[in-house]
Amino acid sequence: MLKIRERHGLDDLGISFHDYETTIQWSYNADSWFHAASTMKLAVLAGVFRQWARDELALDAPVHVRNRFTSIVDEQPFMLELGGSDSEVLGNLGRAMPVRDLAYQMITRSSNLATNLLVDVIGIETIQHALAELGIDGIRVLRGVEDQLAFDAGLNNEVTANGLARLLRIIADGRAWSPEASAEMLRILLDQQYKSGIPAGLPSDARVAHKTGNISTVDHDAGIVHLETRRPYVLVILTRFAPDKARSAAVADISRDIFKTLAGPSAG
Amino acid sequence: MSEEGLKVVDAFDLDDELRSLLRPGEMVRDAHERRHRLPRYFYEIPTYEAAKQIRLTPNFHLNELIRVDLKEAARAQTYPRYVPCAVRALAFYLQRFRDQLGGSVHIAVNGGYRSPGHKLAVAATPHMWGTAADIYRIGNTILKDQESIEKCNRIAREVSDDFWAMPYGHEIGRADDHVHLDLGYLVIIPREISEDRMELPQLQPRFAIEERRRGDRRVSGEGAELETDEIAGSVREVPDEA
Repeated sequence: MLKIRERHGLDDLGISFHDYETTIQWSYNADSWFHAASTMKLAVLAGVFRQWARDELALDAPVHVRNRFTSIVDEQPFMLELGGSDSEVLGNLGRAMPVRDLAYQMITRSSNLATNLLVDVIGIETIQHALAELGIDGIRVLRGVEDQLAFDAGLNNEVTANGLARLLRIIADGRAWSPEASAEMLRILLDQQYKSGIPAGLPSDARVAHKTGNISTVDHDAGIVHLETRRPYVLVILTRFAPDKARSAAVADISRDIFKTLAGPSAG
Repeated sequence: MSEEGLKVVDAFDLDDELRSLLRPGEMVRDAHERRHRLPRYFYEIPTYEAAKQIRLTPNFHLNELIRVDLKEAARAQTYPRYVPCAVRALAFYLQRFRDQLGGSVHIAVNGGYRSPGHKLAVAATPHMWGTAADIYRIGNTILKDQESIEKCNRIAREVSDDFWAMPYGHEIGRADDHVHLDLGYLVIIPREISEDRMELPQLQPRFAIEERRRGDRRVSGEGAELETDEIAGSVREVPDEA
């Protein structure tokens, strides 16, 4: 790991690993806080399904699609700079999308627009309640995405590798409020479209329920790895690098390294 | 079906839950602390199918003016639903706006009538009177820049001085991602209505239209029914073209 960290010039690295096959747990710098980037969407997903499990939110409830949000700092309105990952949601501007579809777009395409719409629906406090109820203290969600005033005020969403791993284990165990809620979250996570992180270090038949997160200085991936021949494992890899450095393949390399260790020397 | 097929109700005669949501005759303050009296007379829309069929103008059906999302109180989304009678005036002006514009006008979800129980109803807004429309797209064009929004606003003002268009801007009370048009706090009292609350409804039938069309409206299967067809993905968008 240290060689990979050095090779990719990472400023910081956090890893949390739990293997359901061997029950081995291993971590590196796993309680260090990182900017969450889009891994915070796992917490939003948990908040949505908490409300669903409590019958306080229907997954087919319509949500008005609009690109206008309110800063947590001074309640000033702001708009997101929309990218390709928002295209599906943006196509419904002025119309409504069901909560379920927004949750799907938030995770599988990492849509910031879907994320902020869902944060508006359930509220930040609900997300914090959800994390507290699950006993997770390694994820801090204070705001939605691209709230620049909040960012400038130092109000950021943060995660630790252990925090994300704990949430993923609870989902994998079917203990996120109900087996049904957990299964639904897992189903969405398995459809992740961005595969340059953990999946890139695995055989092509591996299925990974995961969420990526990257901004100019961090590149993360947090997932549950399902392989044909063994029980799954949970792996969270958080990386931080200097702003002038390009995003590297560090996450994929670490994922590959761990897979090879588990599979033995014969693994490709 | 035309609006004549709609029953007019005095919201004071509705059940407790609906009255608490619609708050007929109550005074509410707008963002400038001005006080306005909420409407009392509503059209009753028996089913979603009826809402789709009722054509208020050549290009606007009633369902286009009552689309809401989960911010609306569940009871206010359940059929039979209620919309202030002034909605027909809104449709009239929107039709003139559409004719002037020469393109289809899409009223957004939450962009037409919103009950006072809607979560966006923090202060009085003409949306609670059924006299406001939020438009995010004209035809296939999304209104997201100053030029397109101000062009629509200009056309709306040309249509009638009665139409107020929210100015373009980023601050509260301005719009930078849609066109907002409204007729103010307009109330329509149907001519067959007597406004005397002392009259007993059962002795003084006031629903002349209802009496004529009762058979048409009370179709089997009406009742609790949430509309679903405006949810993207699962359903189709109903355009405002006839």
